[in-house]
Amino acid sequence: MSYTGCFHCNEAIPAGSNFSLVIEQQQRLFCCPGCLAVAETIIDQGLGDYYKFRTAPASKAQLVPDQLQLVSYDSTEVLSDLTQHKDNLTQIELSISGISCAACAWLIEKQLQKNPAIHNVSVNSSTARCVISWDIQRLKLSELLNIINKLGYQASPFMADQEEAVQQAELRRFLKRLAVSGFMSMQVMMLAFGLYFGDYTGIDPEFEGYLRWISLFLTTPVVFYSAKPFTLSAWRAVKGRELNMDVPVTLAVFYTFLASAYATVFDTGEVYFESVCMFVFLLQLGKFFEFRARAQARAATGNLLKIMPVSARLVQGDELVPTSARRLEAGQVILVQAGETIAADGVVLSGESSVDESMLTGEYKAVNKAAGDAVMAGSINHDGVMKITVHQPLAHSRLGQIIELQQQTLNQKPQIVEKTTQLARFFIQRLLIIALGTFLVWYFWLDKDRAFWVTLSVLVATCPCALTLATPTAITCALARLNRKGILIKNQQVLEILPQLDSVFLDKTGSLTQGRFSIQRTQLHDQAYTPDTLLALIARIEAYSEHPIAHAFESYLDSKIKVEQVQVHVGSGLSAVWVREHGESLEVKVGSAAFCGAQAETAAAVCCSINQHLVFSVELSDAVRPEVPALIQTLKQRGLHLSMLTGDSSAQVENVQQQLQFDRVFKGCSPEQKVEHIRQAVAQGDKVLMLGDGINDSPCFHAAHVSVALDSGTDLSKNQADVVLLHNNLNSLQELIEGAVLAQRIVKQNLWWAVGYNLVIIPLAVMGFVSPYIAVIGMSFSSILVVSNSLRLLKA
Amino acid sequence: MSIIYVLIPIAILFVCIGLAIFFWAVRSRQFDDLNKEGMSILFDDEKKTIKSETDTDKQPPQ
Repeated sequence: MSYTGCFHCNEAIPAGSNFSLVIEQQQRLFCCPGCLAVAETIIDQGLGDYYKFRTAPASKAQLVPDQLQLVSYDSTEVLSDLTQHKDNLTQIELSISGISCAACAWLIEKQLQKNPAIHNVSVNSSTARCVISWDIQRLKLSELLNIINKLGYQASPFMADQEEAVQQAELRRFLKRLAVSGFMSMQVMMLAFGLYFGDYTGIDPEFEGYLRWISLFLTTPVVFYSAKPFTLSAWRAVKGRELNMDVPVTLAVFYTFLASAYATVFDTGEVYFESVCMFVFLLQLGKFFEFRARAQARAATGNLLKIMPVSARLVQGDELVPTSARRLEAGQVILVQAGETIAADGVVLSGESSVDESMLTGEYKAVNKAAGDAVMAGSINHDGVMKITVHQPLAHSRLGQIIELQQQTLNQKPQIVEKTTQLARFFIQRLLIIALGTFLVWYFWLDKDRAFWVTLSVLVATCPCALTLATPTAITCALARLNRKGILIKNQQVLEILPQLDSVFLDKTGSLTQGRFSIQRTQLHDQAYTPDTLLALIARIEAYSEHPIAHAFESYLDSKIKVEQVQVHVGSGLSAVWVREHGESLEVKVGSAAFCGAQAETAAAVCCSINQHLVFSVELSDAVRPEVPALIQTLKQRGLHLSMLTGDSSAQVENVQQQLQFDRVFKGCSPEQKVEHIRQAVAQGDKVLMLGDGINDSPCFHAAHVSVALDSGTDLSKNQADVVLLHNNLNSLQELIEGAVLAQRIVKQNLWWAVGYNLVIIPLAVMGFVSPYIAVIGMSFSSILVVSNSLRLLKA
Repeated sequence: MSIIYVLIPIAILFVCIGLAIFFWAVRSRQFDDLNKEGMSILFDDEKKTIKSETDTDKQPPQ
């Protein structure tokens, strides 16, 4: 066998597991029952081609999704929000996570098309979206989602926002315009060659006129259709008494076109139809790639905004009624089971549990809740079952308030004027004045007949082609480069601000730290066992628990250890019977010190006792990510002012501070205070970057100049951030800043070239030394130089 | 050389036809996902019926 990873997802196969399947007479190994089940489905359905042609391994399959969640999609209220009806068929758009290559799209389409209720499926592998129309009478939405889940993908209903739909349409229009200018350029260029040769070898005036007329005819759609976006943008700018790059572009296109048309009609002077076409085509091409890169980044993050109808179980007498969280009212009682999200703010009526509030407060430790304690909507219930009296509907909850705060900050994003726009404005003004001056001087004092043509060559020679291409090409290449490194940029201003950055604010829980428990120290109290066996034993028993502490042991899991009669004791721990190889059975308890009968003399979070005798204790903490110390060092070397901004007020903040030495630390901050701290920095004139992951960080994202979210963060934060780090590695932050600095350098080089070239050619053109042919060659050459300089960004 | 009075209009006609086809392709969303369409030729539409015969004489991949 050529590789040893899981046949489906290519991840390492844990020791001691044995999941295998014979595919085409070869034994294949799998890492987990999930992957095995998915592969079985794929092979049974005769879709084994997927494994032959896929270009990337699949993502690890997750076992059965929450059934309750799926069924809640079937209620009619939810359905009417998500779907559209078209003659007896229902249409829905899904976002599918786990699509890694084109073969995945094929797999999903084939599998869905087998179902007779489904009429039409179309999967888009680059945006990870899928549009399905089907007969809802014969197949429920939850069943449909289940079919996709069985293939190892997670599908969730999705609604493209208005902006995205507009972008898609725009992308299609771009393609059409590009096609028109491309096709026409080829034709006009061909005719232009005839005219070029005619100039040297002589051409029948009748044919010359004919070729010119045809060129005029072919160039017309390019000027009036393909160049429309430039014309409109220039028109808007002029109307608003502004100057942007599109003004000289439009001017050059129309001036050249009209001059050539005039020359054609009155049979004098020169024609430059091919220049017009090529100019429009090249500019369109640059804009198209830039637009597509941004549209893809937006679509990728748009997928994060899944529509999850948060459901709740309403207690009515002895009955449990599933209902939508949005319909809850004050005074109602809901039941929350282990692992579920609490649907509303309220007070615990009965039951006890520990609750994870880190997304709302930044506190990393789970908080114990018993009868009478207040709980917040959006926090996650870990281990117990609770009945909760609702105090406020979802919209007025703490979660709702944070989302509202974030909406308020949305329009207050600090703006900076782009440097290139400033430069362009300055340059264009001078250029227009020079062109006008040239015309007037030639017309009144020098040579009346040549005035028009000299002005034309000034405009063509100084044609802002290189200047306009300088920034977008560099930005597009930089975006592509960073995308490849797993950095998704939604707001391209980011690249302009980053090199000027002064101050960085970092969230602690989940951003600097891993946001989950990991083992810090262990202590062995009985030499009869080894730490490794005991860790494996604890891992085996903790596998039965939903508690976040259980995840700390996951990596030690060894399925060869046999345990029986595992019981969960809410709020204290787990007990089990450990059956050893030689048949001896031992009573094992894993949990808090009190539960294991030990004195709580250490800060140990988890103890393990065997036959009522304490043998092992484990200290847990939320450890700092391994790459963080080095990152902090490099950021400091850049001269950046670093601040830690956290909602946590526990002693762990000091631990982290001691380890990393920030310039400033703000602890115990509410989301409002976080926004305030960042606003202060912005008011001081600093350029501020904010990195965070939680719901409580998202309001800050709009207050800072640049916001960065991690892929492990909440959907809300990823959706609001300017930049998403997909690899979940903070070193990407360093790469992001470096990439921006590099892009800035390339932009500067490009601008220097474009401006320098213009400074040389303008005086010559004004004096009438530059024949339009030379002007065209110079313009094309400097454009090519600028583009190839930008392409250097794609290397390495 | 007067043949160009006929040939060039014919060439333009072809260009127009080409453009029309391209517009139709864009409108029917064939350019939305270039990866998938490129791969589609690799997959057989119906292969289950002949699977048992081909398996014996074909080496599995990798």
